Amino acid sequence: MIIKEDSVLTQREAPSETFILNLGPQHPATHGVLRVKMTMDGEFVTRAEPVCGYIHRMQEKMAENRTYAQYLPNTSRIDYLSAMTYTHAFVGVVERAAKLQVPRRAEYIRVITSELNRISSHLVWWGAFLLDLGGFTPLLYAFDDREKILDLLEGVTGARLTYAYYRIGGLYNDVDDAFLNGTRAFVAHMRPRLKMYRELVTENIILRKRLVRIGMVTDQMCRRYGASGPVIRGSGVPYDVRKAEPYSAYPDFDFDIPCFTEGDSMARYLVRLEEIAQSLRIIEQALDRLPSGPVMAEKVPRVLKLPVGDYCYAVEAARGRFMVRLVSDNKEIPYRLKLRTPCLSNLSLFEEASQGMLLPDALAFMGSLDLVIPDIDR
Amino acid sequence: MNTSLPGQTSTNPQPVNSAPNTAAPVAPVLPPVGLEFLTRSTLPFQTVDYALKGYHLDANVGSDKVVAAAVELNREGFALDTITGVDWLAQNQMEVVYDYFHPLTGLRVVIRSKVARENPEFPTISTVYPGAAWHEREAHDFFGIRFSGHPNLIPFLLPEDATYHPLRKDFAP
Amino acid sequence: MEAQDEQLLKDCAPFVRFSKLDELLNLGRANSLWPLTFGLACCAIEMMAAGASRFDLARFGAEVFRPSPRQADVMIVAGTINKKMASAVKTLYDQMPEPKWVIAMGNCAISGGPFVFPGQYAVVEGVDKLFPVDVFIPGCPPRPEALIEGILKLEEKLTGKRRWPVVKPE
Repeated sequence: MIIKEDSVLTQREAPSETFILNLGPQHPATHGVLRVKMTMDGEFVTRAEPVCGYIHRMQEKMAENRTYAQYLPNTSRIDYLSAMTYTHAFVGVVERAAKLQVPRRAEYIRVITSELNRISSHLVWWGAFLLDLGGFTPLLYAFDDREKILDLLEGVTGARLTYAYYRIGGLYNDVDDAFLNGTRAFVAHMRPRLKMYRELVTENIILRKRLVRIGMVTDQMCRRYGASGPVIRGSGVPYDVRKAEPYSAYPDFDFDIPCFTEGDSMARYLVRLEEIAQSLRIIEQALDRLPSGPVMAEKVPRVLKLPVGDYCYAVEAARGRFMVRLVSDNKEIPYRLKLRTPCLSNLSLFEEASQGMLLPDALAFMGSLDLVIPDIDR
Repeated sequence: MNTSLPGQTSTNPQPVNSAPNTAAPVAPVLPPVGLEFLTRSTLPFQTVDYALKGYHLDANVGSDKVVAAAVELNREGFALDTITGVDWLAQNQMEVVYDYFHPLTGLRVVIRSKVARENPEFPTISTVYPGAAWHEREAHDFFGIRFSGHPNLIPFLLPEDATYHPLRKDFAP
Repeated sequence: MEAQDEQLLKDCAPFVRFSKLDELLNLGRANSLWPLTFGLACCAIEMMAAGASRFDLARFGAEVFRPSPRQADVMIVAGTINKKMASAVKTLYDQMPEPKWVIAMGNCAISGGPFVFPGQYAVVEGVDKLFPVDVFIPGCPPRPEALIEGILKLEEKLTGKRRWPVVKPE
């Protein structure tokens, strides 16, 4: 919202002073340790400068000190809410460079667990976003559904949040009938819940007033900042790495890419809720057509050395495009591992897009970008 | 896999159906689309095996040409993916790799550039791609690469008063 | 006189208790620990899950997470402490009024966690390098039940008694 020329504010003497408000590293609404230095003109933001690095955990430096197998648990901790997809990118780049054939059953199970992870990540986003906007109840509903997913994944992987389930060449262990039946039951349970969420929250007039036409982001802005995921799909561009650079078993499945053209926070909100529905579709198809067979490739070398060169692998994480760029010099440890994370590119447009916004609108906009700060700081 | 340039005939591999065995490729290799811009391009692109490397086109340019490359790719509608610094200690060089992706066609393009390792300097592309500002700050943090013309080259991930560059190969804390 | 007092105590035992004021205050503090919202990284999600519907910290009086350190009793340090963040953490600890306690949740808060390697430059190896810690909860991340057990241990430290019996695995 820009101050209009004939508004009451400009009829009075316009304030000649701005003050700096520090949205400090410890804040309930920043979803992690993000500091934003906001230059404020009353209630309006004239400049918002994010300061990052408060959770910089040296992920890229650690990669130069660990073998490929030793580094695998780190990948779960970059963006812990969609940890499976990040591990998928890392094992994908190593398998691509080493030319390993992953069995079909392993690919299908990777897709099922990645999509379950995507749903649980979107549920956490949904609960936390509405908590920022002032509603406490949806957090409890969302976490209840999320616990069902975590039970399923814990039965298979042993972990609730930071799974290290995938291995280079396949999976750690196979899934059992309890997982398959439980996942089917979860899909049947989740669809009516989505309907309930739509009636309870999405069609709520207060939510609409807070999100519609707030935080406008154009597709050109997304392109020039490299924003991806629901940010670019809420601005009219149907870019999804699962369709643009197909990987794993995704070409076998039939799913849509939700895309809205308004470019406001409501569009990004609806993209994520629609993505949960599409993930349920993918999971159903994968369960129906799950092939039998081994879950680990044969002849994965115990000491893995990749040929000299650089390799990339991109996946669609819950927050956008996650790409791993690996430079290898034929040693057991990588020479350079670059993690291209979606939240860094998504947040970089905050400074330009938030000029002139009211402070609560700026916070609603930041929530709609779905940030996880260790993803930015790595 | 398709390694042909536009204008030449190429085979279209089909995605492999799921089968209950292990001998199937991991992902289908689709032919890259949107390659028409190569006819207008002045950059020395080489086609790359996507199934092995994960990107379609690769160009090695001098450090003075990176801004022109960014201008051209911006005109063609590419989005900035990331900017990576690589420290080649043995060859006494510092490399910067610019990754781009096209949101409409999915095409992946890499521009790379090497300079000498002492006082590495590159012109900034943040006038063309504003998102590059943060990536260049991070490359400066980790490697000490100076980006001339950058509006705000202060530490991004390291503390504000940091003077060290941790991802250099000769870094010792 | 003594025998009469003892008889009086026995008669009114169902209705009246006699104790020291300290014990009453400690009981009140233990039953209503108000945590500071200080989730830094992955452990924060398990802290949120502990406060959400299934694991429900509200049963133990600890669901009211305060954003401001001035209103909080216990700082649950959930996540990795960075050298850039360390001064902010210390400031928050100093701003909390006495009596205050600290729970170090997760391996990163205990000792730097999985991010310690020779040549590391950014992580503070454990929050007890900055200020004293009362309870350590290991795990990466610890389960919400582990966080609840840590809060019960803190209550035991305050009152000297444990509120619930330890669950024995079958």
